[in-house]
Amino acid sequence: MKTRLALLAAALMLSTSAFAQPVEGGRANVVIQPEPPSLMMGLVQNGPTQMVAGNIYESLLRYDENLEPMPQLATDWEISEDGLTYTFHLAEGVKWHDGEDFTSEDVVFSVDVFLRETHARLRQSLEHVESVEAPDDHTVVFTLKQPFGPFIGIFEAGTMPMIPKHIYEGTDFANNEMNNTPIGTGPFKFEEWERGSHILLTKNEDYYEEGKPYLDEIYWHVIPDAAARAVAYENGVVDILPGGSVENFDVERIANLENSCITEKGWEYFAPHSWMWLNNREAPFDDARFRQAVMYAMDREFARDALWAGLGQVATGPVASSTRFYTDDVTQYTYDPAKAEALLEEMGYDGEPVRLLPLPYGETWQRWAEAVKQNLEEVGIPVEIVSTDVAGWNQRLAEWDYDMAFTYVYQYGDPALGVSRNYVSTNIAKGSQWNNVEGYENEEVDRIFDEAAVAVTPEERQELYTEVQKILVDEVPVAWMLELGFPTIHRCNIKDLVTSAIGLNDGFKNAYIEEAE
Amino acid sequence: MVRFIISRLIKAAILLLAILTLNFLLIHAAPGDPAAVMAGEAGAADEEFIRQLRERFGLDKPLITQLGIYLGGVLQGDLGFSYRQQVPVADLIFDRLPATLLLTMTAFVIALTLGTLAGVLASARVGKWSDTFISTAALLFYATPLFWVALMAVLVFSVHLNWLPAFGFETVGSGYTGFDRALDVARHLVLPAVTLGLFFMAVYMRMTRASMLEVSQLDFVKTARAKGLKNSIIQRRHIFRNAMLPVVTLAGLQAGQLVGGAVLTETVFAWPGIGRLMFEALQQRDYNLLLGVFFVSAAMVLLFNLITDILYRVVDPRIRVA
Amino acid sequence: MMGDFWKRFSRNRGAVIGLFILLLVVVVAAIAPLLFPDSPWRMVQRPFLPPFEMSEYPLGTDTIGRNVISGLAYGAQVSLLVGLVSTVVSLLIGIPIGALAGYFGGFVDDALMRFTELFQTVPNFALAIVLVAIFEPSIYSIIAAIAIVSWPPVARLVRGEFLSLRQREYVEAATLSGQSHAAIIWRQILPNTLSPIIVLASLMVATAILLESSLSFLGLGDPNLMSWGYMIGAARTVIRQAWWLSFFPGVAILLTVLALNLIGEGLNDALNPRLARKGK
Repeated sequence: MKTRLALLAAALMLSTSAFAQPVEGGRANVVIQPEPPSLMMGLVQNGPTQMVAGNIYESLLRYDENLEPMPQLATDWEISEDGLTYTFHLAEGVKWHDGEDFTSEDVVFSVDVFLRETHARLRQSLEHVESVEAPDDHTVVFTLKQPFGPFIGIFEAGTMPMIPKHIYEGTDFANNEMNNTPIGTGPFKFEEWERGSHILLTKNEDYYEEGKPYLDEIYWHVIPDAAARAVAYENGVVDILPGGSVENFDVERIANLENSCITEKGWEYFAPHSWMWLNNREAPFDDARFRQAVMYAMDREFARDALWAGLGQVATGPVASSTRFYTDDVTQYTYDPAKAEALLEEMGYDGEPVRLLPLPYGETWQRWAEAVKQNLEEVGIPVEIVSTDVAGWNQRLAEWDYDMAFTYVYQYGDPALGVSRNYVSTNIAKGSQWNNVEGYENEEVDRIFDEAAVAVTPEERQELYTEVQKILVDEVPVAWMLELGFPTIHRCNIKDLVTSAIGLNDGFKNAYIEEAE
Repeated sequence: MVRFIISRLIKAAILLLAILTLNFLLIHAAPGDPAAVMAGEAGAADEEFIRQLRERFGLDKPLITQLGIYLGGVLQGDLGFSYRQQVPVADLIFDRLPATLLLTMTAFVIALTLGTLAGVLASARVGKWSDTFISTAALLFYATPLFWVALMAVLVFSVHLNWLPAFGFETVGSGYTGFDRALDVARHLVLPAVTLGLFFMAVYMRMTRASMLEVSQLDFVKTARAKGLKNSIIQRRHIFRNAMLPVVTLAGLQAGQLVGGAVLTETVFAWPGIGRLMFEALQQRDYNLLLGVFFVSAAMVLLFNLITDILYRVVDPRIRVA
Repeated sequence: MMGDFWKRFSRNRGAVIGLFILLLVVVVAAIAPLLFPDSPWRMVQRPFLPPFEMSEYPLGTDTIGRNVISGLAYGAQVSLLVGLVSTVVSLLIGIPIGALAGYFGGFVDDALMRFTELFQTVPNFALAIVLVAIFEPSIYSIIAAIAIVSWPPVARLVRGEFLSLRQREYVEAATLSGQSHAAIIWRQILPNTLSPIIVLASLMVATAILLESSLSFLGLGDPNLMSWGYMIGAARTVIRQAWWLSFFPGVAILLTVLALNLIGEGLNDALNPRLARKGK
């Protein structure tokens, strides 16, 4: 009954927002943290860059919260029966911010030339692509070598931003002067950037979607201190706090201020999944019972409530619940120290100390490592926390010099993009933190992930992914912690801020400011 | 005097190069490098990608070659590019330097004037109530961790009394200009400058008091008294002037060290100075930026030392004659 | 001799109070495991329990429910350990350098003093931060970093003493009688420089404790040891919600450092009576 009421309420809200008349004008004051190193999204893809530049650059598609594709620069598209040919029809009358026409030639250049050279993550997906062609100015055809289930999910701005060919062709991409004044097709244009202070984007008057965007400008405030950001919001200096802007301890207080709304939506595509890498190569982590004991020993609900403001949820396995092909039909590891002790007893663990590498991203992560250390020591596993900064953390993971290490990783909507990479044995290589860092090897798992990636129908893929999730959860190659909640906090009279699965990174083209009540 | 200054400048330049070399080697000994950090932010990277980044930054060359290239650049007045932010290091530092100078100089002036004033006052009333009070206060300030005083000040003056802003350089996005802006910055400056100044104030107070007492026992003061000079003139002309010598020396040495203390103050108050810049650059292994900050702060220390030496010659007649 | 020393020391009332506080801190550090058998990292109650509400946790609990008073007791161990060991290490670096420079003078003096200047020109605290970050935060890297930035004043002090003492007649006599340099430095001059070194050392312990707490405050402490600076650093972001988390550890640092400074003054009075009379 309760669910049905909730559904009804949701439907009502949807319909009212569909009828509400957006208001034109106004400025959005947003926090950006940390200051992005650059806004040229083809070259730099860190979080803050994506968030600001998501207003400047666009890709062919967007995704709704169920990760279904929606039109953007492509108005419609077809996928051939055999899953090998993807044809996109581009919107008409799209112009770059400097007035040049956007055509299919730009798409071919972006994908095949620019991003193939600069975009480490897209490059991996492009290995499935045989050719990218532009039969006419408004059509692009991708031909694959073999079917690749998640392919329709990679046309997102952060993964495949469209880069203007007329500016970059034949230049040294990294040192092109124009990187400082980025040109895209998006709803807002780059205006100015005063380092250490702010970035200003202004409305693209010639935007191709009728009537949009509604806002006149977006003002991104660089405020390099969490407490100061909270004060800035309280004082009305900023109106939007993207996920992670304020300390988790402060979230509840700020969300309860007057005219303050909080939403966890807009992260479905990324599905930030946190876990501890367990170095499967070395004793005692080479014994599955030890890894299971670690899972039982941790009080993950406490961590969520005390450290993450009660947001997010306990992870059940390798796939996040918002990612496609998730199943919860797996072994559940609820907090059970007795069971952990029994497992350790059974395997004859000798009490050898283990090292734990926290994620050097601030207070919350440090406290979390301390809490886990305590959890593990209470079942008899002595833990030594190794303190290091971002550079040292990268280095140790890349060299496999760790026993346990915190991390969190995006899933990009599909297990073939953001999950299998961490578990298949063909992906064991030093030098990267996104591959199979734990050194887990299981031929069965390799086979299923391979089959699932190229299976054509979603039903086939679901069956295979369900199977592999069951195996992995029993074997515990890594210790899954939480599906992290990164809440966006904003004034309630700012509407339609989050309208897709990538939230604020999708740009503010739908957002508008109502008169405050 | 000119020759003295020139020889000191040459010495300082050699010292600076030595410091840069030492720091260069130190920083490259740290685990990880900027390429790995930047790849880490990209969300995915393979060996090949990181190798390309290293090549772009010239990090694939032998260390000694890198050092040569760097020092060569510095000699031509080029501090290099920040790897991460892709802008010249000098731009980043000079963006932030005014904030740090404003903070440290204000703190320094507060510490020096109030410190010596309190010291003179206490020395004039040895053993009396006011001396005890001043001395005890100095002892307390001397023993208090700077960052803790800063936090307590925020708690009292910002959170509870709401008199002064707790963080930042100015009110973000306020659009103040001219005098309003200056006033706004000044309000933001009060807490950080006072907390940073407290420790040094205590140092100068203790030193001035001790020095005043010591000098007043010296023969020439006794002679002056015997000559029947007015007490206030003796105080001002003879005792104070001579008592300030060790204080000036110490102040010169410490003015540069204020930059170190500024790291803490800037962290607590989110003050956008080079102390924080240094800390960030360190964590991201932005070698050029970090070396640049060290270069500038060491240069400042040397500059202050030079100024002290010159002042010393002005204050102390014996050295001036020599 | 000893009684004489104590008489002069105890004439300074502040020094006696300081000694009393320090003894108290030492005792608490020593019996911390008896007072609080639970690890100070253990989450024992709900987070953010205010002080004076539950007798079992008189100073409340921190952001994830750890006992604050237990953290203070264990933190005393870290502060004292770091303060003492790093001071000893910096004496071991500073005394030989200062002694050699002051004794031999000339080129040796010049070279060693330039080397010392190198370390004095880089802001102390900034250098300490870099050192700890490079060698990764642990009790060893912290002690090493503090020692490396703290020895120059020792070297300068010892050099000054040696410069003046080596002109003395008894040193000249020793030289004439054919004693080796090492013997003269070790047996003749060094014992006479001990008083000012001891006074300086007591103040250096205080400074080292402040430095350690500052490093921990910035998140560069040993992550496996509960320290006062760490407690304040971890409480910084919640200062609006929980004042007690930063207040009590700060008082602990203040009292300990104050005690050491008072003792330093007392030692000065007792060991350098000539200076003490001048009101230094």
